[in-house]
Amino acid sequence: MLLDRSTRARIERLSFTARRRVRARWAGRHPSFRKGESLDFADYREYVPGDDYRRIDHALWARLGTPLIREFEAEEELPLDVVVDLSQSMTFDRKAHTARVVAALLTYLALSGGDRVRLHALPGSGGRAWESGPGGRHLSAWPRLETWLESRPEGGVALLQPPIRALSAGPVHGSVVLVTDLLTEDWEGALDGLVGMAGGIVLHVLAPSELVPDLAGDLELVDAETGRVLAVSMSEQAMEAYRARVERFAADAAARARRAGCDYLLVPAVPTAADDTLAALAAAEVVA
Amino acid sequence: MSLLVPGALGLASLALPLIGLYMLRSRRRRVTVPSVMLWGNLDIPVSSAVPWQKLKMTPLLALQLGILALFILTLARPFVLIPSLLGPHTVVIVDTSGSMAMSDRFTQAIERARLITRDVSEANQVSIVDGGPVPRVVTAFATSPDDVTAALDALQVGGGAADLDAAIRLARGLATPDRPTNLVILSDGGNEELAAEPVVGADHLGFIARGDNLSVESLSVETTGGVRRLFVSVANHTPIARTVTVEVTVDGAVYDRLEIPVEANSSTPRRFPLDAVPGAVIGARLVGPGDDLGLDDQAWAVVADAADRNVEIVGEGSPFLTGLVDALPGFVPTDIDGDLLVVDRGPLPELDRPAWVIRTETPPEGITVRALARNLAVTYQRPGEPILDAVDLSEVVVAEAQVVDAPDWLPIVRSGDVPLVLLGEVDGRRVVYTTFDLVHSNLPVQVAFPILGANLLDWLAGADAGPVVTLPAGTPISLPVVTDAVPVVTDPDGIDHELAPGAALYRATTLPGVYRVRFVAPDGTSKEGPVAVRSFDPAESRAGFRTIATSAGRLADTETTAKVREWAPWVIALSLTLMTIEWWVGHQRPWRRPKEAAA
Repeated sequence: MLLDRSTRARIERLSFTARRRVRARWAGRHPSFRKGESLDFADYREYVPGDDYRRIDHALWARLGTPLIREFEAEEELPLDVVVDLSQSMTFDRKAHTARVVAALLTYLALSGGDRVRLHALPGSGGRAWESGPGGRHLSAWPRLETWLESRPEGGVALLQPPIRALSAGPVHGSVVLVTDLLTEDWEGALDGLVGMAGGIVLHVLAPSELVPDLAGDLELVDAETGRVLAVSMSEQAMEAYRARVERFAADAAARARRAGCDYLLVPAVPTAADDTLAALAAAEVVA
Repeated sequence: MSLLVPGALGLASLALPLIGLYMLRSRRRRVTVPSVMLWGNLDIPVSSAVPWQKLKMTPLLALQLGILALFILTLARPFVLIPSLLGPHTVVIVDTSGSMAMSDRFTQAIERARLITRDVSEANQVSIVDGGPVPRVVTAFATSPDDVTAALDALQVGGGAADLDAAIRLARGLATPDRPTNLVILSDGGNEELAAEPVVGADHLGFIARGDNLSVESLSVETTGGVRRLFVSVANHTPIARTVTVEVTVDGAVYDRLEIPVEANSSTPRRFPLDAVPGAVIGARLVGPGDDLGLDDQAWAVVADAADRNVEIVGEGSPFLTGLVDALPGFVPTDIDGDLLVVDRGPLPELDRPAWVIRTETPPEGITVRALARNLAVTYQRPGEPILDAVDLSEVVVAEAQVVDAPDWLPIVRSGDVPLVLLGEVDGRRVVYTTFDLVHSNLPVQVAFPILGANLLDWLAGADAGPVVTLPAGTPISLPVVTDAVPVVTDPDGIDHELAPGAALYRATTLPGVYRVRFVAPDGTSKEGPVAVRSFDPAESRAGFRTIATSAGRLADTETTAKVREWAPWVIALSLTLMTIEWWVGHQRPWRRPKEAAA
């Protein structure tokens, strides 16, 4: 069980807030690019045959002599694509578990708000770069989605750009939740590719040992995914340089995410990651 | 501080490889990380082309260098010199003769011995020799003060005269080539000059304390014409004439009290009738104010068995033999049915009694004559043989003797390979065979002849058959052989001493008094054995003093004599402590704990 009952009860009182208008197939509660049937007045336009004559503003027609039609805002659902990175690099220090938990958190948040959710995991099975899982729009789908999230295997080499490109090229541009450590060669292109989506959140999961490494002496570092070997002498100077690089890495990722219209959140893989993430999203007004 | 093995310091070169190991770069440890992306192209040196690095003094290196230094120091055996009376091996001879009981001589000697041996150690070993009538090694090569103390506590003053010559020989026998040995003689000097003076490599510490002394000089029971008389002699070793009271007891009950006046530095004998049965123990004890030598204030005697042993002399018969038997107390010559038989040459009769056979035409059973040898001198006397006790045959010359084969007989006197006197048994009876004719030797005119004859006849008669003779303290007691029985000797203090089955002698007779022997059979029954009396040596009662001449001793230059005290135990203890700290530092890595806690 990724989310316990009390956590789910807290989430049910919250809802996901879209940063921009959405373009979806089904009505929902988020503002859309289209005009619709909501109570929020949007604009006037000249009457053309076929319009609903019940929307003609008779007072304005009498004063201007031209029949004008009242238009209202449309409200549509917010499709949410949750992409979870479960590659080999995520197997260190609870990172994969943390990724599953925060992905489950946002999935449940969307379902409780009536938004359509679809899960994706990478790398995919059978040598595929990624794979899509089940989707849902109501809380009744939660057990199925949770089971799928829990059952995804860990390991392998991940690339972020293929799923982002596929989602951007789709007919419906919803929001995306990208849960990853960004430790792939294409992380910059992937974040830049999010500009084609209707916003989203980048949850950058890093282990404490990646933020402050506990290493000493002369070492040969072996990349868990690529097998690349790097000789490093763990001097104080090297540690300082590494910490500065991690800070630049996080700052760069945040900047690229924001340029693509997404929110960025650094999630340390600690046992309190779910609560910390929820609090940070509330502070950023991503949930309300 | 000095070093016993300074060459061990050369091992300090081991520090070079140790430091070298710290300067070598360790093989890089492989660590798998999620990604090396963030580690690449850091603007810092991450590897080196050379296999060594600048030496950094770490706590571990310092500890290991310290341990190495202590290890080398241990092998170098550091020591300090402490002024000491001891050398590498010191043999302390403590005189336990009767004269040492005078005043506090013995107490002073023991205290002095404790003082001398207080620094006993592995490097300064000590042996203790009891320098009494029968010298013995009490402890040898002791390295701990406890052993020395126990040995000194075991020493006890007896009533005999010290045999310091034998004690010194015994002490010299303890010398080993690897340890210079010096002797310390704690003695009042004995009564006679030693055989070899000055004693080389020895020191004599004398004890001259003196005081008043009155003694029972001798006590014996004589039977003449069927009348028993007690002979007692009292000595006054003071410069003032005294009248002493002697209390006579028979089997512990007071029999009489005698008032005997004694002139200064002289003795007074007394004889008086005694009504006592054979076997009764007679005691004589000085009563009145005590003196400074209490051991000689008492004496004992045992009333002899009235029956004399008849000795039948057969064969050609020598006047020397008849005279010998006549002169020996307890033996009477007879013509028929003697208890003992002496066969002097001629044909060999049937040996139906214990016999002394002197060169008969046919030797006893078990002896075969091979040839004759002429002009022989005695070259061997069996050491420790009771029959030869106080018998010196070194001047004896024999004109002719039989060369015999006697595999089951024990030769006790020989000339080269030619046995002259043999002991054996014929049909379970003791037999002495002399292979030479007494008249064709000078033995009968030697001082040793009556002693040898008496001893031989005593042995033939059996130790438990003769009269009880009072001998000086320290004289061993001859025990008859009783098969399947354990000899038990009860000393004058009433303490039982169990001996090994078949033991022939009991030597611990330095305490004056009556010694009783009994034989305990396996079924618990006991049979009474001989009674022996040992008296205080009258010469010891004088408690004289003389200085033993010595040379090349160590005590004279005590100030420059030093004891080697090694530091090895402390160095080893420090090494172990450092090794423990090194292990803790190396494995627990205390300086890493704060980081781990922070992580």
